[in-house]
Amino acid sequence: MSLLKNTFNNAVTNIIRNKLINILSFGIIAFTLLIFGIFNYLTYSLDGFVGQFSRNVEAIFYLKDNVSQDELNLLINKIQENLLVEDVVFKSKSQAETGFARQFPELKYILTEFKEAPFPASIEVKFKTTNNINTKTLSLIEDIEKLNIIESKQVNLDWAKKILSIKQFISVLGYFLSFILIFVSCFIIFNVIKLNIFYRREEIIIFRLVGAQDWYIRFPFIIEGALLGFLGSLMAGILLFGVLKLFPRYATFMFDIVKGMIDFNDIPMGIFTQLVFLGTGIGLFSSYLSLKQFLKN
Amino acid sequence: MIEFYHVYKQYVKNQFALADINLIIEKGEFAFLTGASGAGKSTLLKLMFKEELPSKGQILIDSENINLIPPKKIYKLRRNIGIVFQNFKLLENRTVFENVAIPLQIRGERKSHIDRRVEEALSLVDLTHRKHYIPSHISGGEQQRVAIARAIVGNPRMILADEPTGNLDTELSIEIFKIFERINAGGITVLIATHDDHLMNLFQKRIIKLDKGRLVHYVKRGDML
Repeated sequence: MSLLKNTFNNAVTNIIRNKLINILSFGIIAFTLLIFGIFNYLTYSLDGFVGQFSRNVEAIFYLKDNVSQDELNLLINKIQENLLVEDVVFKSKSQAETGFARQFPELKYILTEFKEAPFPASIEVKFKTTNNINTKTLSLIEDIEKLNIIESKQVNLDWAKKILSIKQFISVLGYFLSFILIFVSCFIIFNVIKLNIFYRREEIIIFRLVGAQDWYIRFPFIIEGALLGFLGSLMAGILLFGVLKLFPRYATFMFDIVKGMIDFNDIPMGIFTQLVFLGTGIGLFSSYLSLKQFLKN
Repeated sequence: MIEFYHVYKQYVKNQFALADINLIIEKGEFAFLTGASGAGKSTLLKLMFKEELPSKGQILIDSENINLIPPKKIYKLRRNIGIVFQNFKLLENRTVFENVAIPLQIRGERKSHIDRRVEEALSLVDLTHRKHYIPSHISGGEQQRVAIARAIVGNPRMILADEPTGNLDTELSIEIFKIFERINAGGITVLIATHDDHLMNLFQKRIIKLDKGRLVHYVKRGDML
């Protein structure tokens, strides 16, 4: 227990001893994770926004005239098997005609003008409400449409598609920026630990000569890296909270545009947890790499 | 007991830092290791605490072949050896007390035990009154005594000192050697590398002499008595 306390104290002492460099790296890690958090939050919000459009989505696929019963059964079974699908209902030509007559009784006379039922048979596919519109749902709709027994489809998802594209763009941009900034954070912690190894080389030599175990020498550096990452992520979380609370107040012109899409009152705790894990992970990983490189046995 | 059997150390091809060293230092013995600069004194000491590995030959410490100790277990060997250097190797950001406490802290000893042992070690080198000082605020002789206290605080079986009085005047050197004598009286093996003939004459201990990496003068303890 006192060994662990010692190593932890050593790590904290190192951080305090090299204040300037540690404050600098702490700031950069906090900024990096803030950017990551903002993009993560935007993706989360837009996901929810798209979800509002896409709940209870139904697609109607109109069938060609010459579809056999076997082909029809095969298609219905195949669609029903898909995990995204809630229900599939077949509507024959006569059912479509009856439906029209019921819905528009004043236009019922038009139907008498036709020798054959004028409406095509169709399949109505209801997607599960638990699944927000996503690329899988869209590609399923496109796949069904491509089948040679389908004449056309009716599904109004243009808005959802556009928002989905924006969300995907923001996700990609966010991950790209985050990747670069996380790399920068790793690089900074890596070098901070390298400098600390250099500052403490005399101490390391003495520790080894008096019989310190390898982990006793390495552990403070690992803890130091993890602490930098952890504290940086906490700061990023606080800043993210501040940004989300202050944005609607001070950026009203932009807020009008985005307020429908982003719910500034719903800040999920998951994002903060992610930040903390990511920050601590960056710290651990970078200090481990630095030790591997610069602290040989 | 320290035993060397046909030990060679080579850093550069065809040039031996140590060649065919055969040597036994008995448990509880006090011996001087001497020779001109570059004779191989420091290398010989480094081989004993595995700072360096022999190119050839066997080194046994308390009957254990240290060549066979894996890197991860070297710490166990070093906990039984107290090492003292010419340049003291004290940490400037720690007090005298904290410097002496290091070997016990790294073992995870309890604070009460550390306090007691450090006080004992400082008292043996007569430095209790300087325990709250930082090393740069005390004299060279006192700094070397701190280093000796650090070497003995963990109850080692042997002390290896590499030119411990190299930076000190004769008076202080005698004082330091007397401390080593006191430590040796407690049953701890002491091996001091030095080229100070005056001190060696004064203390009359067994002398192991090296010249260009070879043992040129070695009296077995039995022969001396």
